[in-house]
Amino acid sequence: MHDQAKPSAQAPSASRYFTWLFFLGALVFALGAGLVGDVFFLRLATEALIFGGLALSVDLLLGRVGLLPLGQALFFGLGAYVSALVLKEWHNSFWLSVTVSLVASALAGLVGGIVAIRAKGVYFALISFGLAQVVSKVVFNTRDLGASDGIIGVPGAAIFPGLTSADPIGFFLVTLATIFGLYCGLTYLMETPFGRQLSAIRTNEHRIPFLGFDPWRYKLLAFVVAACIAGLSGALYPMLRGFVSPELMFFQVSGNAVINVIVGGTGTLIGSLYGSTLLTGLKSVVGSFTAHHQIVIGLLFVVVVIVFPRGLIGYLSPLLQRRLSFRHATGRGGQ
Amino acid sequence: MEPILSIHGLSVRFGALLAVNDVSFDALAGKITAVIGPNGAGKSSLFNLISGAVTPTRGRVMFENKDVTGTSPDHMLKVGLSRSFQITNLFFELTVQENLRLAAQFLEQGHGLFRPLAASTRANARVDELIVQFGLQDKASELAGYLSHGEQRRLEIAVSLAARPRMLLLDEPTQGMSHADTKETEIMIRGLASEHGLSILLVEHDVDLVMNISDHVVVMHQGKKLAEGTPAQVRSNASVQAAYFGEHG
Repeated sequence: MHDQAKPSAQAPSASRYFTWLFFLGALVFALGAGLVGDVFFLRLATEALIFGGLALSVDLLLGRVGLLPLGQALFFGLGAYVSALVLKEWHNSFWLSVTVSLVASALAGLVGGIVAIRAKGVYFALISFGLAQVVSKVVFNTRDLGASDGIIGVPGAAIFPGLTSADPIGFFLVTLATIFGLYCGLTYLMETPFGRQLSAIRTNEHRIPFLGFDPWRYKLLAFVVAACIAGLSGALYPMLRGFVSPELMFFQVSGNAVINVIVGGTGTLIGSLYGSTLLTGLKSVVGSFTAHHQIVIGLLFVVVVIVFPRGLIGYLSPLLQRRLSFRHATGRGGQ
Repeated sequence: MEPILSIHGLSVRFGALLAVNDVSFDALAGKITAVIGPNGAGKSSLFNLISGAVTPTRGRVMFENKDVTGTSPDHMLKVGLSRSFQITNLFFELTVQENLRLAAQFLEQGHGLFRPLAASTRANARVDELIVQFGLQDKASELAGYLSHGEQRRLEIAVSLAARPRMLLLDEPTQGMSHADTKETEIMIRGLASEHGLSILLVEHDVDLVMNISDHVVVMHQGKKLAEGTPAQVRSNASVQAAYFGEHG
């Protein structure tokens, strides 16, 4: 009775179909790649999932709270650097590097959130952009962090006995499980009173204090959660590529994450993963023909915003939902 | 009878404009107190001062004998005071039910924030109760933005009541309503005070409605309190007639 998201209260949810399509499709892809012994596309798909995690964190802020983060790469890059340092200088444990990256991202999210959250609209976007610029330039000029070269030669992470991040199919599945866990956690969170308050803040923040809640606390917590998701995703990056560089914190990474979200469907969460997969794949394919693949990505973004302003899933989901509701109403499906 | 709300010498200045100038009055528990006055009299500014939306330049707001002057709006509801808005201030992209659920979540007092919605049993029960009380059964699943103006105004009051406040500030609840809707709202407001024991402070343009339902009326003019008393006393007050009723013929 208290579910307001579905057009038809009892009909199956279209977004659930798209979720299962994505994750089952990824498993089928892994199976196929494993059978033919592919490495390149497995690595590419793992990268798409990692950047999908970053896009998820952007969608939490942009699609659910209404804050446009133009510097989310700050937390992604932080997670990547911390993970690389732990793996290279301390211990090659996957779990240790992920845990330390998560704690570092949460703390950075708390500090960044306190600075950025009081601002709204374009001011928030600019502050988040500025914070990322400052940190990336500091990293760029810090010799101990490899300066402009970054940190190279990061060893593979030991995940389970007999499995390291150097195993393409094993690490793809671990990354998929991580992103699936993050997605499920976020989806759950959005259906709690906390998640609903975030939607209310996006819709009419002015009214929230008069309902007895301080919107600032909710926004700060959402910001920290988004930082953790971005940081955790970033922690996986050096395990895949074996290096990190200051470019991971640059605006291009933040901007691409926003584009992934908008192309996939802002506020849909699963759309972020579709957007990231689509654009990472496209970048690789177009990149094999021309070095100017950003022109193609840019044009695609313009076309999507004009023709499908709600993004891929934002466009397809209502169509599927109508079909599911109709089938349910006429008794031909749903049972 | 004890006043639930006492206003002492409340003033607020916006630049050169003294919008509220040394206003004092009491509102009694379980009664309907109305604030009336011509446009620009300072009624809405007074409401903003009482509800914590604006901090007064001078004066005190006492609620149940506690000084709540300058308390932020989110804390004001914790004290027991809620308000509605002159311009409908809902979550238009959310359903009627969700609007009410968001407001009723206050009853959970911060618990269950990260548990499924169904676990907020007190909030959910309050939503079901309000939907029936305000006759919104057929509209529960509709987006608030698709409701008629009268229904939105009713929902606005229902949202303000969801947290079970002890006092409700109603800012022009019948603004823009049809005659039939106004009558219905008048009955509903009267019922809230008489049946539910709610204390109400009302700002309203509709003088007939104010005179019909109020126990006590405060008249403001140019930021100052001009008079106060029962509706009959206010109606017969010469300065009120000159400043307010005279203007409206």
